[in-house]
Amino acid sequence: MDQHDLDFINSQLEGDIDLREKIKEQVHEFDKKTRTVVGLLNKVHGTTSDKIPSLLDDVRPLLVDCRTITASLAQLVPQNQFWRWKDMWSNSIRAAVFGAALVEYLGTGTLITVVKVNEILGIHDEWKDRLALPAEDYLHGLITLVNELSRLAVNAVTLGNYEEPIRISIFVKDLFAGFSMLNLKNDTLRRRYDSLKYDLKKIEEVVYDVSLRKLVAPPGQRPQPTP
Amino acid sequence: MSQPQTLGSKDTVVQLFQHFAEELDDQNDRRERLIKSSRDVTNLSKKVIFLLHRIMTEETDEDDHTLALRAATSGRQKLKDIQKILGSMQVELRGNLFWQNQKNISPGLQEYIEALSFAHYLEHGTLISFQEVQETLSDNGAPFFPLPMSDYLLGLSDLTGELMRYAISAIPRKGGRMKADEVCSFVRRCKADFAGLTPFVKGLAKKQSVTNQSLQKIEDAAYAIAVRTSEFDLPPDILDDIVARCVSGYETNNHGRKAQRWQEHFDSDDEDYEYRA
Repeated sequence: MDQHDLDFINSQLEGDIDLREKIKEQVHEFDKKTRTVVGLLNKVHGTTSDKIPSLLDDVRPLLVDCRTITASLAQLVPQNQFWRWKDMWSNSIRAAVFGAALVEYLGTGTLITVVKVNEILGIHDEWKDRLALPAEDYLHGLITLVNELSRLAVNAVTLGNYEEPIRISIFVKDLFAGFSMLNLKNDTLRRRYDSLKYDLKKIEEVVYDVSLRKLVAPPGQRPQPTP
Repeated sequence: MSQPQTLGSKDTVVQLFQHFAEELDDQNDRRERLIKSSRDVTNLSKKVIFLLHRIMTEETDEDDHTLALRAATSGRQKLKDIQKILGSMQVELRGNLFWQNQKNISPGLQEYIEALSFAHYLEHGTLISFQEVQETLSDNGAPFFPLPMSDYLLGLSDLTGELMRYAISAIPRKGGRMKADEVCSFVRRCKADFAGLTPFVKGLAKKQSVTNQSLQKIEDAAYAIAVRTSEFDLPPDILDDIVARCVSGYETNNHGRKAQRWQEHFDSDDEDYEYRA
């Protein structure tokens, strides 16, 4: 190799390394923010339903705060190289999706859409060759949500909220029906999907317990889940 | 995407997931197609490498340079078929799609670069440059897809293994010892060039250690020649005969085994097999 070629290769590789460092910095910040979100949301397991709205109000601005990170990432990533770098922040963005999805569920009892997540995290459609929320990461976030809800079903009962497990059960079953429509390849998403059945089982057991002991009114006399 | 902001009922969840199902199927199908094409590229590239070795070991009266040019020309002809396949993959690799699928095509791409750089070495005696590789993967100056620096370097570092084979099989030929010396110093320079780059490219360090082994094999062969030469105060052409006899004796002893190994090389990616028993 002559010196000219070697210099060219070195400058290319160094450019990549610089970019990697810069992205790493952002991801580090992103992780800090999502850890705070997840940490706060962890309180739902010990919070009675009347205090949930104020907890969610604390979390929402933290999620919106992630917009500074998504904007920086979109600026850093060169055109058409989204998939080259995205593994660096996959975990952070999945955590953010989980946070947003849990807030949405607790606030409205519904499943958050990709559109809404993008809106909260400030991810613009025109960035899609640099930064986007791929289906895979969104779905990972939802699986974390199910994991968390199976825990919440148990803890809600402990706090005296017997209706919550029923609502969770319906919600998670719908979600599971959605997941079973997907042809997943053998990757972590597939493995996590396979483990969802244990969460469903756990939730079913709680529902069984509260129904059998007549802790919850039978269907018909039960208030509809408030949207 | 026209989706409601939030989803409550089962139907809307199903609707949303229908969309994902299509997207994931699309992705998986594309991935499978690219993996298949990449395998074809690997397979054909290996054949080109064999072709080059085969021509270079032909028994002819041509001098080495003419032979090398003939090998490179035939090689290039075959490489065109591979370029056609790589060109046909570009529709699946447009824009964002390239980096989404880069891992699936990189084995084929690296093998192609190995074959291309071998042909290039026989013709020019130099390492093919990044730009030259990218030019072979272009249509009228428009690249099929951006060539990743890592695939270029990883493909090149496989070249040293082929050069080792080439040098060793050249030894029994006339002027082969000179050739082996030439290749030896070329591989040494490659090794030095790559040494500085190993921390930046994943997988290069491992290939570098294979390069080391290849280099050692050539050096050992050069050593054996030097020892033999020193024992005889004879002109080079007579020495050539002596060495030829020596090596051909070795080749008959190991013939069955060697043939089997070539086959193994073809079947697997294992680049590191020994010529010696």
